[in-house]
Amino acid sequence: MANKTIRVDYIARVEGESSLELHIRNGVVDAVRLSIFEPPRFFEALLRGRGFGEVLDIVARICGICPIAYQMSGVHAVEDALGIEVDASIRTLRRLLYCGEWIQSHALHIVMLHAPDFLGYTDAIAMARDHGDAVQRALALKKTGNELLRLLGGREIHPINARIGGFYRVPSRAELAPLAESLKHARDQAVETLRWTAGFPFPEFVRDYEFVALRHPDEYPMNAGRIVSSVGLDIAAADYETEFIERQVPHSTALHSVLKERGAYLVGPMARYVLNRDRLPAEIRALSDEVGLEPICRNPFRSILVRGLEVVYACDEALRLIAAYEPPSRPFVPLTPHAGVGYACTEAPRGILYHRYRLDAEGTILDASLVPPTAQNQGVIEGDLREVATAGLDLEDGKLKTSCEQSIRNHDPCISCAAHFLKLQVHRT
Amino acid sequence: MSGGDQPRMLVVGIGNPDRGDDGFGPAVARRLRGRHPSKARILERSGDALALIEDWVGFPSVIVVDAMAPISEPGRVHRLDLTSSPLPIGFAPRSSHAFGIVETVELARNLGRLPRYLLAYLVEGEQFATGAPLSPAVAEAIEMVAERILVELSAISGAKGDAGHA
Repeated sequence: MANKTIRVDYIARVEGESSLELHIRNGVVDAVRLSIFEPPRFFEALLRGRGFGEVLDIVARICGICPIAYQMSGVHAVEDALGIEVDASIRTLRRLLYCGEWIQSHALHIVMLHAPDFLGYTDAIAMARDHGDAVQRALALKKTGNELLRLLGGREIHPINARIGGFYRVPSRAELAPLAESLKHARDQAVETLRWTAGFPFPEFVRDYEFVALRHPDEYPMNAGRIVSSVGLDIAAADYETEFIERQVPHSTALHSVLKERGAYLVGPMARYVLNRDRLPAEIRALSDEVGLEPICRNPFRSILVRGLEVVYACDEALRLIAAYEPPSRPFVPLTPHAGVGYACTEAPRGILYHRYRLDAEGTILDASLVPPTAQNQGVIEGDLREVATAGLDLEDGKLKTSCEQSIRNHDPCISCAAHFLKLQVHRT
Repeated sequence: MSGGDQPRMLVVGIGNPDRGDDGFGPAVARRLRGRHPSKARILERSGDALALIEDWVGFPSVIVVDAMAPISEPGRVHRLDLTSSPLPIGFAPRSSHAFGIVETVELARNLGRLPRYLLAYLVEGEQFATGAPLSPAVAEAIEMVAERILVELSAISGAKGDAGHA
């Protein structure tokens, strides 16, 4: 086979700007480069010199799809630095807020960005002509998620209501009641969406990932838990930088995060599910059995099923939290700044999001470290691409490009977050 | 929503007031408040265009106001009837993840969820930097577009069925 280069200059249906370059030499995939050319965004530097109270408004600006994740990792890390414990009701509201983000982010990706790959459409707009009901369900789900974000976060994009110690304003039970009605309807829509995706044609493709996710003693993880992996890692967030390291690579403005001892690892819905299936309620596990989702799923193309399952779970969990909610006696815990270092990891829709902040005695940020899920998944994405490209070497370049793009979208990469990423080039030489 | 005193017309100002000329849509929406007919509702939206499909449920007539990348001269205003035809290429670049107005309008069209009458007022912007003010040429267009929309609303509400332009 001739040597060849295949290049995708701009990868669609992912967030941000990236390209892919494949070098095929003598019929073997020689190099895979997922290049993120989204400009560096310098958020960690922007945070230096700012007061701890400004963190949540700054980090919410990192992403329009998952601002809650940034706010939740930020709030827990700063509170860790200040030694603050929040009331149980505040914890409930934070988990409810995260449910809203999982619902809207997953619904967008499952139907509007990922489903067209399986059904052979260029985009959701073309797909809507034949699968209008599925798109309508996604819009309804997204609306419900956004309603949660609007009520608890103040607005659905770049929310403003969370603060260190709690919230600026907390809702009454009466304000949450209409959301419960929306969520009951959304739950039905989520189950239908999951059953719809279960009928998709999934390629036979299995990878031996090291899964990394949070694990909590009682809960399917969102805001709390230890960082665990499928090969025995079990650490507190404070030990993250002991086990993981971010590396610069020449072809990307995003750093690649790897396990110091073992290299690439997978975060996100599949990792969460594999490591925490026993934390899901029995009815959600039964639903996973109904749609044929195996307890240990190693096929990234089937991640769409896990996202669908998590949307159903997030609806149920939000309903449970609303039913049990009692407004806190105070919207936030009073704060006294002091010097300290705080760490937190929470489960963004795309996987674990690590934050560290070092504060001086006045609460000014001396330095910060933010490691988004997409930076952590880049190694795995390139590994998937190498195998997908190897399996598709005989395909004509157009089909190979499509296959590679789908492989990338399996992981719902959020490039603006990571740029801190797709054009595809295949070089066959 | 049907008849009575319920609003039948919707104006949506789209944009981020903290990003220079992207704030044009919300600025026009604010200029309309207190001056619009009771059968019109004014909304500001800061980014998620997909939400428009839900926003315009029950409104037969919808006007969206937004800023666009410059193609001729900053401050120039374009009036486009999107009821039966998509935005021309060049008026709105496609985004990669978030759905913009172009994608949202075409998605709604394929779903059969477009309003009966959909109009867009677009101003060519000059600067979209974070924290930047509106550029003088774009700021100058606010009142002119607000007045033209008031005339549009008056014409729509005077027409039979609130969607007489369709």
